Amino acid sequence: MNEFVIALGWAGLYGAMALASIGSVIGCAVAGQAAIGAMVDTDSGYGRYLGVSVMPSSQTIYGIVVMFTLQRDVTPENAPALFGIGILCGLALMFSAIRQGQACASAIHASKTKPEIFGLSLAPAAIVEGFAVFAFVFALVLAGNIPG
Amino acid sequence: MTDAHRYAMLLSALPDHGPLFGAKQTPLSRIRLNQRLALLDPEDFACLQTLGALQDWARQDLDQSDTQAVERANRLVPTIAHPFVRDLVIWRLELRTLVAALRRRRRGDAAPNDNRWGFGRWVAQIRRHWHEPGFRLDGAFPWLPEANRLLALDDSLGLERLLLGAAWTRLERLSDGHYFDFEAVVIYVMRWDLIARWTGYRGEAATQRFDELVAAGMTAIALDPITETRP
Repeated sequence: MNEFVIALGWAGLYGAMALASIGSVIGCAVAGQAAIGAMVDTDSGYGRYLGVSVMPSSQTIYGIVVMFTLQRDVTPENAPALFGIGILCGLALMFSAIRQGQACASAIHASKTKPEIFGLSLAPAAIVEGFAVFAFVFALVLAGNIPG
Repeated sequence: MTDAHRYAMLLSALPDHGPLFGAKQTPLSRIRLNQRLALLDPEDFACLQTLGALQDWARQDLDQSDTQAVERANRLVPTIAHPFVRDLVIWRLELRTLVAALRRRRRGDAAPNDNRWGFGRWVAQIRRHWHEPGFRLDGAFPWLPEANRLLALDDSLGLERLLLGAAWTRLERLSDGHYFDFEAVVIYVMRWDLIARWTGYRGEAATQRFDELVAAGMTAIALDPITETRP
């Protein structure tokens, strides 16, 4: 039983980063494809399309920081906490990265036709980023209360 | 890649088409559109080809009878694997059946004897209510009374405008919730077709005007040598 609990602890430790990375992969791929399409159709603004398309990368960075914050000797006492915080934070980061990628794809698509709305069109992606930051910050706060 | 965002690149590479009746030309040429559509999966591309084969006027065999055309549609429609595209084709063919009925009645034809002259679920109802202005379908097709009126006035352009507008509105409604998926591609291509048809009418008028100008210019050139040979 202890081995299983310890395995869950390790899953939580690495899960924060792994799940966030999966989200970033999907989010950046969706937004990146939209950026490439926009570059095919326009003659300028390539840099900003690419810049927007990498916005979902930040979740992986948050995941890495959470992983290092959680890193410690995994024991049966702290494994459930590591699992809970790591996995739930990872899921929040993963979904936020996927959805942010979709919001970025829409922003690229819209601002290609109407360049004047470029800034405003990024608002939904920025709000999604805000929720990812909440998940990240409170994971760090709670990590400080884990015994051991 | 999520299915709803499968064609993010393709759709971002297609220029915005703007409103139908304000367009002076298609947002991109047919060649360019076909180049971009090469990014579709083979199954989706085949689906789009079948859609084109059934609805593009340029690809219809004008020598075939109504019965043959209906048989062809009945044969091809079930082969469309994508339910969204299948429903769209059925709706478009039903709309054409309604317009065909209006035109036939305007021509003075009697009610058809069987159901093999048209496509879809309204054929029998149209036949039953042949002498009623909207075939008792005004509720389902609010544009029918106006189409009837325009047909009675022989206003072909007004009728075409009404029908293209109805198709455009329908596509606009269907586009809700579809941004980067195959459905969005289908809607874009169908809208492109509508713009091509509408701007094509203007093109024909422009070609006629161009021919007149060329003829006038050629007359002037033909007169010039006579002028030059004079001392």
